[in-house]
Amino acid sequence: MELFMESLRSLYANKLRTFLSMLGIIIGVTAMIAVVSIGQGATASITERISSLGSNVFMISPGYSGGSSGRAYVNLSDVLTKKDVENIKMLCPNIKGVSPLIQQRFSLKYGTNNTSSQIYAIYPDFFQILNLDLESGRKINQEDIDDYAKVGVIGKDIANDLFGTENPLGKTVYMTVSVGNTNKTIPIQIVGALVQTGSKLIYNPDKMLIIPFTTAEGRIVNTRGSVSTILASAISPEVSERVYLEIDQVLYMRLHDSTKYSITSQDSILGAVSEVTGIMNLFLGSIAAISLLVGGIGIMNIMLVSVSERTREIGIKKALGATRKRILMEFLIESVMITFIAGLLGILLGTALSKMVEIAASAYALKTQVTWDSIIIAFGTASLIGLFFGIYPASKASKLSPLEALRYE
Amino acid sequence: MGKSAVLSLRKIWKIYEMGDVRVNALRDFSLDILEGDYMVVMGPSGSGKSTFLQITGCLDKPTQGEVLIDGVNTSNMTDNQLAAIRNKKLGFVFQSFNLLSKMTAQENSALPLIYSGVSRKKRMNRAKELLEQVGLGDRIRHRPNELSGGQQQRVAIARALANDPPVVLADEPTGNLDSKSSEEILNILKTLHESGKTIIVVTHDPDMIHQGNTVVHILDGQIEKIERKS
Repeated sequence: MELFMESLRSLYANKLRTFLSMLGIIIGVTAMIAVVSIGQGATASITERISSLGSNVFMISPGYSGGSSGRAYVNLSDVLTKKDVENIKMLCPNIKGVSPLIQQRFSLKYGTNNTSSQIYAIYPDFFQILNLDLESGRKINQEDIDDYAKVGVIGKDIANDLFGTENPLGKTVYMTVSVGNTNKTIPIQIVGALVQTGSKLIYNPDKMLIIPFTTAEGRIVNTRGSVSTILASAISPEVSERVYLEIDQVLYMRLHDSTKYSITSQDSILGAVSEVTGIMNLFLGSIAAISLLVGGIGIMNIMLVSVSERTREIGIKKALGATRKRILMEFLIESVMITFIAGLLGILLGTALSKMVEIAASAYALKTQVTWDSIIIAFGTASLIGLFFGIYPASKASKLSPLEALRYE
Repeated sequence: MGKSAVLSLRKIWKIYEMGDVRVNALRDFSLDILEGDYMVVMGPSGSGKSTFLQITGCLDKPTQGEVLIDGVNTSNMTDNQLAAIRNKKLGFVFQSFNLLSKMTAQENSALPLIYSGVSRKKRMNRAKELLEQVGLGDRIRHRPNELSGGQQQRVAIARALANDPPVVLADEPTGNLDSKSSEEILNILKTLHESGKTIIVVTHDPDMIHQGNTVVHILDGQIEKIERKS
C-alpha cells in the first residue's frame, strides 16, 4: 500500500512525462477496445441481417460444368425447372415453403415518376420463406399465379419513390423490362405494400416489386420452362440439416449428378461470413496489439531514463536500508501503475470511441459491443506489458551499488 | 576499559582499479570503535578516510579483511542483510545532505522507518518527534529546497536517528555549511554522544578535533596516529 502511494506520488511529480509514456498504452488499449467492439458489432449486425432472411432459408441454384482442364465453363442455367419446385414441395415433409425465383432488372413509371430496381417473380410461398409482412393490401396468391395476373406487391422504398405519400394500393404502374435487345412494357396493378424491413443482406425487400412467377414467365421473360433459382425454407431450425438432405435427394433423383445444382443454406453463408469477419477482427486486433507493444517499449524507455535520473535517490534509499527487492518493487509498481492507469483511460476512451462510431454509423444500424472479454484482455495485456517492460529497468535500479549511486552526480 | 567494540575493522585492504592504475585506498587498516566513542577521523584528501567510512558503514565491501559489527562478521553477508544493518544499526549523515527533494522534512526523516516496516502513522509521529529534537518542529512540512543548508543537515540527522541506531556515521557533516550552522550541527552531535550514541565523523575541519574523545589521523590509507582523550 505504501509502495502504491509512493509510486503514485512519484508519477504525479512527473505529470507530463507520465502522461506521455502513458500515451502509447492509452492509444493501444483504445484502439483495441474500439476495434474489437466495432468488429463484434459488425459481425452481430451482419449475422442478424442474414438471420432476418428467414430462419433456415435454402437457395438452390444451377451448377456449372467445366471451367477447368480445358473445357469451357458452362452455366447450367436450364437445369432446374418448375417440376423440381413441385417435387420439393411434395417430397420434402420438413419444408415450410418453396418458390421459384426470377430476378430481373426493370424500370418503373407512375405518372412522371421513374425508378428502377428488380422484379421478383415468385410463388405465394415466397412471403413466408423471407418472413415478409404486409403494411396494407394482400399478398400474391395462387389465383394470381393461375391467372398470369398483372398484379404486384411493392417494397417501401420503391413505393416512396413512385407515390410519395399517396397510397399505392390500386394504382397501376408501368414496368419496362429489357429482354435481349427489346424492351417490354406491361402495366402492373399494386395490390399490396410491404412493411419496411431494411436490407437483409442478400435481399432487400424495401426495393422489391414482387409479381406472380407465371406473369414474368409468360409475359416478360422467355425462360423456356427453366428456373434460375429456387428458394425454400425448413419448418424449424432443428430440421434444417434434414431438409438439406431431402432437397439434395429430390434433385439427385432427377438429375443424377450432384454437380448440376448447388444448395446454399443460410448456415453456410453465416459460416463463411463469420470466418471473414473473424479474420478481419484478428487482423485489426493485431494492429492494436502492435501499438500496445510499442507503448510498452516507450514505457521501458521512460523507466530507464527515470532510473538513471534517480540514481542518487536509489543510492540514498539503499544507504538508509532499502533492500534490493524493495527498490525493484518501487520501480516495477511504478511502471505497472503507468500501464494500469493508461489501461483504464484507454478503456474509457475506447468505449467512448465505439459509441461515437455507433452514432456516426447509425444509418447502418451498427451496434458496437464493448464486451467484458475485450476489456479484460486489453487491461490484462496492458498491465502485463507494464510488468514485462518494467522488469529490466527495475532490476537495473535494484542492482546499483549504494556507493556508486551516491557518488553519481 | 570494559567497553566493547561496536565496530571492528580487521586488516582491511581496499584497492580501486582505475584503468591500469591500482589505488590502495586502505592498506592493512585495523581499528576498533568502542561503544560510546566520539571518533573524529582526520586526514588530507585522498588519504582514504572516505573509504574508511564507506567500509565501516557497509556501503562498500573491502577487497580484503573483515568488518565486525557488534562482534558479527559482515564479510559473508548478503545484500539484504547488509541493508538491514545499515537500516537498524547505522545512521548516516552526508556532506551534501542527500535528502529526497520531492519529500517533506517529515517524510525524509521517516524514510528509514519504511524499510524497517513501521506503519505510516507511527513513522510520521516518530519523524515529528525527531525533527522537534533537532529544533525543526515548525518546519516538518517543508521540502528541502525550502530549508537552509543547516536546516537540511538537521533533517538528515533526524533521518539518521529514525531507527535509533547505536552508531551515527557522518561524512564531512559541516563541509557545506557556514560557521554558525556548523556550530549547531556540532552541538547536536555532541548531545547525541552524551545520550550514549557512538559517533564517527570524517572531516578535515580542524575545529572538530576538540569535539571527539578519540581522534584518528589517516595518511595514505594507514593510521598515522590515534589520540584518545578520556
